[in-house]
Amino acid sequence: MKQLKFKHFLPVIITIVLLVFFYQLLNKDVTKLSSQLIEKPVPTFNMSTLLEEDQSFSTSDILKSDVALVNIWASWCIPCRSEHEILMLLSRMEGLDLYGINYKDKNESALNFIKTLGNPFKKIGVDRNGRSSMVWGVYGVPETFIVHKGTVIYKHIGPIHMNELEEIILPILGDIL
Amino acid sequence: MNLGNFGNILLLVCLSASLIQSLYLLPKKIDINYKIFSRIPFFFSLFAFILLIYIFVDSNFNYQLVVNNSHSEKPLIYKIAGAWGNHEGSLLLWILVLTIFNFIFSYSKIKNLDFKKNVISFQSFIIFGFTLFLFFTSNPFIQSESIVNEGLGLNPVLQDLLLAIHPPILYIGYVGYSLVLSFAVGGMLSNKVDKEWAGWLHPWVLTAWIFLTLGIGLGSFWAYYELGWGGYWFWDPVENASLMPWLAGTALFHCVIILEKKNILQSWTILLSILTFSLSLIGTFLVRSGILNSVHTFASDPTRGLFILIFLAIILVISFTLYAFKGPLLDNKSEINLVSKESSILANNWLLLSTLFVVFLGTLYPLGTDLFLQKSISVGPNYYILSLLPITVLLLFIMIIGPNAKWQNDKITEIIFSISKLFILSLAIIFGFSIYFIELQLTQITLLTLSLTLILVSIKNGLRIKNSYTIIKPSLGKSLAHIGFGLLILSVVGNATFAQEKIFQAKVNDILILDNHKFKFKSVEQTKGKNYNSIKAIFYLMDNKTILETFKPEIRVYSNPPTVTSETSIVRKFLADIYVVMNIPENSDFVNVRIHIKPLMSFIWFSIILMTLGGVSAIVFRVRLKR
Repeated sequence: MKQLKFKHFLPVIITIVLLVFFYQLLNKDVTKLSSQLIEKPVPTFNMSTLLEEDQSFSTSDILKSDVALVNIWASWCIPCRSEHEILMLLSRMEGLDLYGINYKDKNESALNFIKTLGNPFKKIGVDRNGRSSMVWGVYGVPETFIVHKGTVIYKHIGPIHMNELEEIILPILGDIL
Repeated sequence: MNLGNFGNILLLVCLSASLIQSLYLLPKKIDINYKIFSRIPFFFSLFAFILLIYIFVDSNFNYQLVVNNSHSEKPLIYKIAGAWGNHEGSLLLWILVLTIFNFIFSYSKIKNLDFKKNVISFQSFIIFGFTLFLFFTSNPFIQSESIVNEGLGLNPVLQDLLLAIHPPILYIGYVGYSLVLSFAVGGMLSNKVDKEWAGWLHPWVLTAWIFLTLGIGLGSFWAYYELGWGGYWFWDPVENASLMPWLAGTALFHCVIILEKKNILQSWTILLSILTFSLSLIGTFLVRSGILNSVHTFASDPTRGLFILIFLAIILVISFTLYAFKGPLLDNKSEINLVSKESSILANNWLLLSTLFVVFLGTLYPLGTDLFLQKSISVGPNYYILSLLPITVLLLFIMIIGPNAKWQNDKITEIIFSISKLFILSLAIIFGFSIYFIELQLTQITLLTLSLTLILVSIKNGLRIKNSYTIIKPSLGKSLAHIGFGLLILSVVGNATFAQEKIFQAKVNDILILDNHKFKFKSVEQTKGKNYNSIKAIFYLMDNKTILETFKPEIRVYSNPPTVTSETSIVRKFLADIYVVMNIPENSDFVNVRIHIKPLMSFIWFSIILMTLGGVSAIVFRVRLKR
């Protein structure tokens, strides 16, 4: 019988190392994943608004606020419902403006959502087919961006949970507000 | 009985039958009638899949999956496609494809029954794992908790025919490699890895390769015309996840050829077989667990990620451990001469694997720095282009030389002599082009010349002209695929070199000039569509006084819900696509227009078709030769 050699065990060793790495990744908060937009200026966009007929929601709106939080949501997105409560809380913070982008949604359902759960947003843009949000690098809903003086400083993928609000979002806002 | 329960029963039957079949792998070899137990999962997953399509077509909003992904007003075709346009449904489709491969393989006429049963049983084990995953973490037949009358999935962007057929084709490719893995495991268990084994494996590797090639091509085509950014490949992690098994699979395919002809490289072929399907699984894991965020992200759920990871670990650790013990025993003593067909195929293997490594690193490295250093880096196209450039040059070179080398031993001088004319011809053409049209850089000249040489050499190899009859050789498939690859590189380089893009602020009657194209901004039209108002800008592509083409980029303002969309106007021409996109004008007489000229786009798509056709004709010839 031929002798077993170390080199033939290399694939299985590499595989195990990789699997451990994947396990670490899995446990890591995916919401902290970086965005290409971080430290970059707010992207240029322009969309119509949900509540007002003749207005538009664009980059200039966000530039008016010193600190802005942009939340991408949809009524069909179930995590967005759980997150909404937290957005309502955030909307009471002074010096912080919340903006919403309603993503791939139906007008009635979106209005209904806001009517039932409350409106934390100063303005809500409408992106019916998800194209205008592409400049934000949106992959899914919900996603949240924090913008400070026109620069995107943080991106949150997925719903903001209570513990994330306390451990991540509030410290960031505390630094700049 | 309600349909959901019925669906669950179907899945349970599929689950138990595949579990029973996989018991053959135990040391005791619990042997049952493999014909029955390998075929049951196919029928039951097929029924389950049909049932799922039925509840989608029926717009049965008792099911959460239908509520989330369908809408009663959707056109029928998109209701059907909606069944697999989501995580749960696509997983069921994945299982169906796994069982189809096992089903067809169970009819193969392989005499070595122990080997055949081992393959079928390992495949059944894979089916078992995926069905378990589907049943417990991603069950498509879950009832919705609340009563709803309408679904949420009326998303116009996703209503796209290509988007409906692209995933199934890609899955057949991905999943096809599962049988290749089962072949590797079965071969090792039965100590049957030789010429004959390679011969049995050959058509399966080829089939998976064809579908994967086509699937990747379709995905790229969709991104090009739907996303409207003028690009066709973004090195997006999900694209990379499909490219990696393709690269490994291409290397594997070439190795199988050597093994079949020369009965060497057994353990290397086994290693590649395991690697290829591992990469399919790793890609699935990274995408489905939500670790890689991308355009393709399905709703992510940590338990799903953990489940796939555990399953991935079981499959990979079993296969690679088996390889560590058995692999080295399989090899025949052999020596490979430096100049021979086998050495060039091996060199091609290493180049493909280097490419794979570059892509793998580019995909995982950012995740690693994020995890260990809390620093985020982004890996862009530049990284891939710069790292892959030298590899591509070498790969082209080997692809020109290799097919002209004989098995075992050949003289390098003779090979070089045989291709020299075509090489000089190509060089002359590219140089001529560079002198008369646009000055090219050294890298461009190198790549273009080599890819053109590859095309010409492959054409020459594929056809033999004798007494004015053109004889098609059995190696036509190889030639087609190689021509396709040469054309792909040629057109990708050409596209990158000559693409033009410019943004204009234009008023009516302005003349816009891009390169040697003259566009006239004719007018703005306002029309009313079904549920939107549209603003169309009319542009003419002019040749002095005559109008060559008309472009009508459009902006649509939907009233309910209020949305603005921009519709691209593309004119496809033989040598280049012209793309005109209009941006939203803001209270002014000016219109913001972006014009792209994308050369050789149709050649890129054609090259992928050629490669696929190459694979198909290789199978056809194989079947005919056997008869």
